[in-house]
Amino acid sequence: MRLRAWQRRLAVQAAQALLAALAVSIVAFLVVRIAPGDPTAGVLGQQGTDTAVAALRAQLHLDQPLTEQFREYFTGLLGGDLGQSVLERGTSVSSIISRSLSTTLPIVLSAMGLAVLVGVPLGLWAALTRHRAVDVFLRSWAVMLLATPTFFVGLVLILVLSIQARMLPAGGWSGTWPENLRYIVLPAVALSSHLTAMIIRTVRQAAVDVAQDQFVEAAVARGLPRRVVNVRHILPNSVLPVVTLLGISLGALFTGAVIVEAVFGLPGVGTELVKAVAGRDYPVIQGIAVISALIVVFGNFLAEAAYVLVDPRARRA
Amino acid sequence: MSISGTSTTPGVSAQTVGAPIAKRTPARLRLLPRRWATRRAVWIGAGILGLIVVLCLLVPVISPYASDEIAGQPLEAPSPGHLFGTDAVGRDVFVRTFAGGRIDLLAAAIAISFAMIVGTLVGTLAGSSRRRLIDTVLMRIVDAVMAFPFIILLLALIAVIGVDRRLGPLPAGLPATLMAFVMVQWAGYARLARGQALSLRDRDYVVAAGILGLSRARIIVRHIAPSVARITGAFAVGDAVLVIVVLASLPFLGAGVQPPTPEWGSIMYDGRGFLRQAWWITVMPGVVLAFTGLGLSLVADALLGNRRVEA
Repeated sequence: MRLRAWQRRLAVQAAQALLAALAVSIVAFLVVRIAPGDPTAGVLGQQGTDTAVAALRAQLHLDQPLTEQFREYFTGLLGGDLGQSVLERGTSVSSIISRSLSTTLPIVLSAMGLAVLVGVPLGLWAALTRHRAVDVFLRSWAVMLLATPTFFVGLVLILVLSIQARMLPAGGWSGTWPENLRYIVLPAVALSSHLTAMIIRTVRQAAVDVAQDQFVEAAVARGLPRRVVNVRHILPNSVLPVVTLLGISLGALFTGAVIVEAVFGLPGVGTELVKAVAGRDYPVIQGIAVISALIVVFGNFLAEAAYVLVDPRARRA
Repeated sequence: MSISGTSTTPGVSAQTVGAPIAKRTPARLRLLPRRWATRRAVWIGAGILGLIVVLCLLVPVISPYASDEIAGQPLEAPSPGHLFGTDAVGRDVFVRTFAGGRIDLLAAAIAISFAMIVGTLVGTLAGSSRRRLIDTVLMRIVDAVMAFPFIILLLALIAVIGVDRRLGPLPAGLPATLMAFVMVQWAGYARLARGQALSLRDRDYVVAAGILGLSRARIIVRHIAPSVARITGAFAVGDAVLVIVVLASLPFLGAGVQPPTPEWGSIMYDGRGFLRQAWWITVMPGVVLAFTGLGLSLVADALLGNRRVEA
């Protein structure tokens, strides 16, 4: 059976994603073991007796050869078993992660949606406006947004919108929907700020480029009104790069989410990670690292696949 | 490195990821004004940066207060005596901000230098190596490191290295943070350097050097590495924004520079509990931090932008 060009391309991308997933799993495994320092020292502290240390090493399987440890880790990972938490005895790492992802994923996804809804129109506006001042203002604003740390955006939002205007809660999480809608607004806005700026810049650049293409000139020459040219011809082509941008921003969004969760006190992956780091809960640290990286790898693959499916030119090439 | 989420222009992230984002316009007509605008942006950025560096150097020296001295009443609002007000203990926030800036800027410089050196070496090696295997293995490691959300890998490494690890005169918490930064960030430089080394490998002057009978090591060190370093150097300026921003975020995550050493993030973290009564403790260092990021971004964008115009 002969595959078409775009099918072959998708297959290659899927294979690359699988390879990346494997590499990511290996790095997450090594991080906890190769860096200097013994994991057991941090957990047990000064009062760790030899037998207690030996018992903990056995529980973490650190007493086995590295290849054996990896085999066990990897088969566990394939079956969704990431081991047991050391701090919360009797709780599996995977249950901690799935519990906390139910907070983090809505924040990440709504930040993405918000950034697209705000960034795309503003980027187009900057590119197509006849007023230079608007373009200069939007571009400067984007650069300012990119330079402002996410946690600072969050703190300023708390200061203005919840302490002074008393419109929204300064933090917290209710755990049920739709009550969470009130709590998700400020974190999502704070998290979306960098991505919004990136989207403004990307869409503006793409729209400026596309506006000079021949097919746009042809559309204008056919006498189509400006609005139709903008919406039918320029918009779809300038939004395409956003698909790729969303894919490669996924890692940055997770990074931002960790910080935003700390600022707003949300029970997400970042908060679990901070807890695990403080208590040297290595199975949880390793689990969160590998799962978040796998989500990023998968997201990148989805973005590339979407690009191939959406853009006819990429399908033919 | 697009994971940064800061400072990289979309065009650059497209190049590094190899995904189609926007094709470059043959904008001959726009070249001149754009260059002029670029140069102006560099000067504005460099001016902001220079001012902050000078303030960081001078303020702790000429100020009547030390950074950990109780200089007034707690939570005093900004006034001519205390430009940024005082914090919950009565320490002067202006002095603490610029004393903290020394740590942030120094940490960024150290982390970036080491990451750049390691990354440039690895990337040049991979890009100019004749063995496909070395290249493939090194680049898969780079891809894997870069796939992790930056801060998650960073925190994991800090936990493993140990926040309380000491190293020379560095304040508590900084050694582990710096080591973790280098261990994560070299990857971006390696990827960039490899691409550059690959494109240089077949340039006439490199081929000519080979025909002249120069050793491979000499060609790599004298002919390929300098050009590669120019590119990674420009990238490093933008990367510094990421280091400063993440370093300042770490106190919120229970890591980073440990108190009582002032640092932008730790000052803001301390002020967080007093947002209602004393916004200045948090906002003032934050504004200085944002302006530092702005200055660095303007310079970095211009450096990287120039490269694209030349290339």
